[in-house]
Amino acid sequence: MEYRLRLAKRMLFNKKGSLIGAILAVTIGILVIHVNFVIFQGLYDAIVRDVTDYNIGNVQITDKIDYIEKSDLSLVNWLERIPYVEAATPRLSAHGEMDVVTNGMLIEEARIPVVGVDPFRDIRASTVHETVADGTYVFSRNTMVLGSVLAEDLGGVQVGDSVKLILIDRWGQEQTKRFTVSGLAESPGGQGFDYSAVIHIDTLRDMLKRPSSSDSILIRLNDPSKALEVKDFFLLSFPNDDFVAQTVEEASEKQLAGFRSGIALINLIGYFGMMSSAFAIVTIQMMLVNGKTKEIGVMRSIGARRKDILIIFIFQGMIIGAIGAGVGTATGLGYTFYAKETKMSFNGSLALEVTYNWEKISQTALLSFLLAIVASLYPSYRATRLLPVEAMRTV
Amino acid sequence: MLEVSGLTKIYGPKDNQVRALDEVSFSIEQGEIALIVGSSGSGKSTLLNMIGLLDRPTKGHIRIDGVDTTTLNDGAISTFRNRKLGFIFQFSNLLSDLSVLENVLLPLQISGRDYTEEDAKELLRAVGLDDQISKRANKISGGQAQRAAIARGLINKPSIVLADEPTGNLDSLTSEKIVELIKSMAKRLNQTFIIVTHDREHFGDVDRIITIKDGKAFQDEQMEITA
Ligand SMILES: Nc1ncnc2c1ncn2[C@@H]1O[C@H](COP(=O)(O)OP(=O)(O)OP(=O)(O)O)[C@@H](O)[C@H]1O
Ligand SMILES: [Mg+2]
Repeated sequence: MEYRLRLAKRMLFNKKGSLIGAILAVTIGILVIHVNFVIFQGLYDAIVRDVTDYNIGNVQITDKIDYIEKSDLSLVNWLERIPYVEAATPRLSAHGEMDVVTNGMLIEEARIPVVGVDPFRDIRASTVHETVADGTYVFSRNTMVLGSVLAEDLGGVQVGDSVKLILIDRWGQEQTKRFTVSGLAESPGGQGFDYSAVIHIDTLRDMLKRPSSSDSILIRLNDPSKALEVKDFFLLSFPNDDFVAQTVEEASEKQLAGFRSGIALINLIGYFGMMSSAFAIVTIQMMLVNGKTKEIGVMRSIGARRKDILIIFIFQGMIIGAIGAGVGTATGLGYTFYAKETKMSFNGSLALEVTYNWEKISQTALLSFLLAIVASLYPSYRATRLLPVEAMRTV
Repeated sequence: MLEVSGLTKIYGPKDNQVRALDEVSFSIEQGEIALIVGSSGSGKSTLLNMIGLLDRPTKGHIRIDGVDTTTLNDGAISTFRNRKLGFIFQFSNLLSDLSVLENVLLPLQISGRDYTEEDAKELLRAVGLDDQISKRANKISGGQAQRAAIARGLINKPSIVLADEPTGNLDSLTSEKIVELIKSMAKRLNQTFIIVTHDREHFGDVDRIITIKDGKAFQDEQMEITA
């Protein structure tokens, strides 16, 4: 082995405390970044996942002004001929009032979000039906799925109960209809229909006197990376219909923008953590250099050049960086694996969408390796300034 | 061949100067054993450090094998130390992180030239350490460490070997053996040995004795000082 590398290794490994301290500093720096990524990126991706699955799809089509008046059937059929499209389904929404008599008491709730779905298509394009924990999804013109939060607000409505829905139609007339509750929807994190009443889209159209309107088409792709392509293809094919097509990221931009700047801030904190690891390494390396004053003098006296001394201590930085990056990445991956396998969530909220971002993982490892070397530069330089006469010191 | 001329070393700031060496001049022929003697604080170590290029003189010149070493830059001095000079310190100054053999090999490795471990092993055999070569340097006795240091000082076949009180830290029996070793090595290798010592009697016959007194050098080339 190269004698400078061997010396670097021995000097480091014979100072176990310092070595472990330095490695720990790098490890913790990396771990913080991994944990931040798992939690915050995981939360972000989980929200995008649920918004995609429940409300928007990979691509969502809406109208520039208000409602899509083109036949939903023809639009869906047209879309489903695109090879990347798995399924598509129309949605219509409104706000209404609900009355329910529970235990002899009349409870009224106003401004309730009402969603109309096409039961047959919806279960293919969206997974929101899976959030129906109790009962079944909407299956007929007079059944309703209630969000669990809403059901609670209405005094604990149960499956099988009868509820009254009051809407104002497009002509300003009040429309009333009774429904039987067929199921209760509850999603971790509340991204699903937890606050809404879900009914058959044709029922909603009838009540609103909008026989063929939809306000969005939710498109599910078999390859999410083709979202932009599908969007562009659609807009190109319907240039004169005032359609708006957006990918899920675009459609939920408002909801996600704040979150993204939060992630950026958290990442910044992570990098500050790395910086403090670097300072820890500077301190530890200074200690190592100070502890080797005489040895450095001896090496110089038997002919080692300043450059050789510099290289020895930079090698030490590289060893610290390499082991630290290895251990840090390993523990980080361990945590990521654990989070993924256990479908980690916080307080019963939505399960984190954990991914292995290999580019970021290797970037982080490389960065901390380089940082350990950079942190060693000043102590190494100090080592080269020690004079050969130091070898003569008797203490 | 070593020529020292007008060598002066002043330590400390202007208002508190110590003139450790004052216009010292002498020369030593190749292959000689020279002792530097004198009372404590007289400037012996200072002189040896200057010759060993461990420190720079304030004034004056040191020529080694015709090269004026005071004109060399730091890199050239390092190379010069590595190839031309060998050091034996009062405390053995082995690198505690390396084994005995690795310590002896170090000057060879620093030189960047091709080498074999055989030379080092042979030298370790010559100083009587062949059974200790793979021990860590901080796990051997003081006398053994000093032998290893001698081997390290000789491995690059330097033209001058400098020793500052090489027996100063050893008991009398061990120091006698070390002196014997140094003298026999010197005879065998035709190298110049410059040795700072407090007890010249130990060394018996030598080629030259330089006495330092208050930073000035006096030479007596007679060799009647025998044990
Ligand atoms: N780095 C230094 N800074 C200031 N003064 C020094 C320094 N090194 C040595 N001196 C002074 O120079 C003088 C000569 O010191 P030196 O170490 O050469 O003496 P010495 O003959 O080797 O003594 P000893 O026999 O005790 O080892 C002393 O007065 C000492 O105090
Ligand atoms: Mg001295």
